[in-house]
Amino acid sequence: MNTIFAIASLTYKEGLKHRVLFGVLVAALFLMTGALLISGFFMRDIVKVLIDFCLSVTNLGGLLVPFFLTIGMLTGDRDKRTIVTILSQNVSRTQYILGKYFGLSLLTATIMCILAMATYFTLLGGSLLYGEYYFKSLSLYSVATSIVLSYVGISILNGVVFLWCTLTTTSFLATLLTIATYIIGHSIDDVVRFVESPPPGVTVATSIVKAVQIFQYVFPNLAAFDHKLTAAHGLAIPLIDSALLCGYGVSYIAFSLALSVIIFSKRDLC
Amino acid sequence: MADKIIKFKNVKKTYSAELKRKKTALTSLSLEVEKGEVFGIIGPNGAGKSTTLKILLGLVLHDSGEVSLNNHDPATPASHQHIGYLPESPCLYPNLSLIDHLKFAGKVARYPKKLINTRIDELLHLVNMTQAAKTAIGKYSKGMTQRAALAYALFHKPEIAILDEPMSGMDPIGRKLIIDIILEYNRMGNTVLFCSHILTDVQRICNRIGVMHKGRLATTLNSSQLSSELELEDIFLSTATK
Repeated sequence: MNTIFAIASLTYKEGLKHRVLFGVLVAALFLMTGALLISGFFMRDIVKVLIDFCLSVTNLGGLLVPFFLTIGMLTGDRDKRTIVTILSQNVSRTQYILGKYFGLSLLTATIMCILAMATYFTLLGGSLLYGEYYFKSLSLYSVATSIVLSYVGISILNGVVFLWCTLTTTSFLATLLTIATYIIGHSIDDVVRFVESPPPGVTVATSIVKAVQIFQYVFPNLAAFDHKLTAAHGLAIPLIDSALLCGYGVSYIAFSLALSVIIFSKRDLC
Repeated sequence: MADKIIKFKNVKKTYSAELKRKKTALTSLSLEVEKGEVFGIIGPNGAGKSTTLKILLGLVLHDSGEVSLNNHDPATPASHQHIGYLPESPCLYPNLSLIDHLKFAGKVARYPKKLINTRIDELLHLVNMTQAAKTAIGKYSKGMTQRAALAYALFHKPEIAILDEPMSGMDPIGRKLIIDIILEYNRMGNTVLFCSHILTDVQRICNRIGVMHKGRLATTLNSSQLSSELELEDIFLSTATK
């Protein structure tokens, strides 16, 4: 376990020093400030617009990690051979994968915590600027739950990125597969609903229905972790739903990482 | 009879690249390194030297044959606690400092915190890097990076040092420093496996020299048997042109 923590800590430090991270974080904070002004155009829905905007930016900040840092760091380790630095020590390939994953998850958590704080201050600024009357429906609990669930969704995507990075040999292919996973993960629910009960006059072949149903179980259902609208409307997210989603997320991450470890342990690395 | 700390027996390795022809790196490598010796591997490009080292590090898995490193399978991390590896182009994390790397090596080797700091001071002094210890590795010159990587490789006091072109791109002062460290390390009873194209360095440092060609060990020589530097060069050239 010590070794995994050591790798996680090294990965976290390395991730924190990426310039791209600072640039985008500053841009995200700037956007949130901009949201305060933009929301003024929607007087009756100020709080909804503000929450939706801030949660979208928080989610986007978190997504930086799987799309840029995870792919960049994993394929970079292989291409620049920095992986040798770690594996030439008393480190197994399993410990490498788990350490990297935990380091990057910690990095995601840090980014999302900073953006969550910015969300809180933006909402506070909004209530001072426009008056508390417009913020009556605000539920900080729902906003916080939405951010936590969003983090779990991004962690799942991070796990899948590990799988793609161990399976492919180029960062380009890993990025393409990650984009595909993200799109499928966010639309599979709607597609399943459509093929299972198509509108009148539309027929869907049984083979397509079966294929889509299989996809539903193979790819992660990322849309289930998107509760921005619920939080924007001040509705509660039941604790049991959150717990079930977290359970699903942890199982999917464990499955992705286990597959990654199996593939990675059979590969020539240099 | 001295203990054999590194053993290769009829080891074969073929790389299979997608859509490309398979490339055989090792045809049938048999090699033994005794405990406490400095064994040099020389050979032309593509002879299989790097693949041999990568197999020892567990980075590449061999297809057939037997490999043992201090009686361990090199693919298991347990074998890595006995080795320190210095690659030809050190690949440390450019955004992190040497201190960060050494702390990591200490944690992985499960040293207590106090001992990690003591060992860091020792190594920084040894490789003459005390001044630049907190600077990001990316700002180092080639020679400094090589010395930093040597400190990282020797952190856990390994019994076997695997050095791939350790002096490449270094100035004479840096080369002397590295040679002195290698010789001192060997005097302490440790084993060194040394790969280089610089025949004078190989002849100066190594007790035995293996000449590799076309994925196998073509010949093994004792340094003491060689009368001059030219003799090693002649043997190398005649093996490589066979």
